[in-house]
Amino acid sequence: MINIYIILTTSTNLLVGMTNLLSIGQAALYGIGAYLAVLALMVLNLSLLPTLIFVILGTALLSLLVAYPSLRLRGDYFVLATLGFQLIVFTILYNWVSVTRGPYGIPGIPSPVLFGEITIYGIIPYLILSSVFALIVILIFYKFIHSPFGRALKAVRDDELSAQAIGRNVTGLKIWAFVVSSGFIGISGLLYASYVSYIDPTSFNLDEAIFILSAVIIGGTGNIKGPVIGAIFVVVLPELLRFVGLPDSVAANLRQIIYGLLIIVLMRLRPQGLAGEYALK
Amino acid sequence: MLLQFIVNGIIIGSIYSLVSLGFALVYNTTRIFHIAYAVLYMFCPYMLLTFYANLGFPLVLSFILAIIITVLLSLLMEFVIYKPLSKKKSSSNIIMISSIGIMIVVINMIAMFYGNETKIINQDISETVTFGDIIITYTQLAQFFISAFLLGVFILFLKFSKFGIRTRAMRDDDVLCSVFGSDTYKMRIVLFSLSAFFAAVGGGLVAYDVGMDPYVGMPMLLNAVVALIIGGVGRFEAPILGGFIIGILQSLSVWAISARWQDAVTFTLLILFLLFRPQGLLGEKRRAV
Repeated sequence: MINIYIILTTSTNLLVGMTNLLSIGQAALYGIGAYLAVLALMVLNLSLLPTLIFVILGTALLSLLVAYPSLRLRGDYFVLATLGFQLIVFTILYNWVSVTRGPYGIPGIPSPVLFGEITIYGIIPYLILSSVFALIVILIFYKFIHSPFGRALKAVRDDELSAQAIGRNVTGLKIWAFVVSSGFIGISGLLYASYVSYIDPTSFNLDEAIFILSAVIIGGTGNIKGPVIGAIFVVVLPELLRFVGLPDSVAANLRQIIYGLLIIVLMRLRPQGLAGEYALK
Repeated sequence: MLLQFIVNGIIIGSIYSLVSLGFALVYNTTRIFHIAYAVLYMFCPYMLLTFYANLGFPLVLSFILAIIITVLLSLLMEFVIYKPLSKKKSSSNIIMISSIGIMIVVINMIAMFYGNETKIINQDISETVTFGDIIITYTQLAQFFISAFLLGVFILFLKFSKFGIRTRAMRDDDVLCSVFGSDTYKMRIVLFSLSAFFAAVGGGLVAYDVGMDPYVGMPMLLNAVVALIIGGVGRFEAPILGGFIIGILQSLSVWAISARWQDAVTFTLLILFLLFRPQGLLGEKRRAV
């Protein structure tokens, strides 16, 4: 799970930390990735690599539908548009029963097959697979940050007008950031679907979207280690609480309260998060 | 049948208007995207439950006490969270995220104390009145008339009282407003109280009818925000118009399609408005932030 969340938070960071776009629609993209993965694995019977490509491209293309209109909006309105997108996608996943099986979810998702022979099944192979993916994603983002594209994004983030003045296509750059980040979020959807082997829409609801966002914000924005720390933190904390021996019903709420308080305190004292380098504007 | 749906839409629309107006009071003037407002809507019914069902106070007294406590909670948010952040000149995104933090904390505290399941305040089945083909419960009637009364009083108050004029001034430019000698932080106390009052009344009325769980606030907040956007950010009449439009539209979509697609209809409408008429139906050009 840590690896899945690392991919989620690192990709979200591209929007929040690098481009100063606060999106509450990440869980919708995560869900789209998961459902596309199911489509590829169960209906089209693809093996792992084609599935991967299919999911990345599919999620990225669908995200373009959101990116194009919503990125012309600013500030609160952009947040609202992504929120609207999140809720629409959730409603569709939940109610289009003939395709997504709605609230019943899709059970029995097969394990992905690598190179036509190796079936990835069980905890250890998954650990390896997801770690490899997470590492690749981290590396790609590391490259990104130091590439001309990453620098241009940072320029847009820090001063949109100046970036525009020196001839950067600001909206175009934002759209690219959104689409690239969505493509990578698709990967985590794929990993989640094949790891848990059962998906239903409630894994991709508004709470999940807020959860992803808070992981990024707690960890920190603007660099690589922030989101990674955030992901590790939000996945490890529940285990820690279980270790302390709290009953499950209280632990779930208590965990949320800790996240909430942390967010409030961080926003006041350290708006760039635990390990981040950029404070939201 | 159609008429029944429209009437239902108007009744729920009156609640949306009320809640949306409360949100607008804070958003229009301070530019705080008060997500934790959802919590206030949910908090009042739980207090009502405590006073009315658990402690056995009379209904009206419990309602008043519940509203007072909700207002105090809202002021606590302002003093502990929003005011310091505003003084630090934090960005709107940071304030919004803090607000999400508050929401998470309060929802989970309520869930810890009262449990996650749906609670019902009023055990009896409400009596109904019939006008021709239309059936309305007394609770619904109370919802409509209380909301309509409050909305009417508020609009008059805003137009003619000194405070109303100051509020509108603050909406237009809060810095200039403080330059002219009104203490904007004092204004904010009144605004946060009033907005909590509207949320509390709305939340209490709805929960008395259909019960509540710790998560009822968020969907209501979203409807209120959509109502505000559709009506138009800036004018205080706008969320009222938007609230009724959304109420009727949702009710009609239940009639024409099915209840399950209500949210999709609402948010498609939101996105269409954001794209093609971001200033809303009654909107003027937005003040630069």
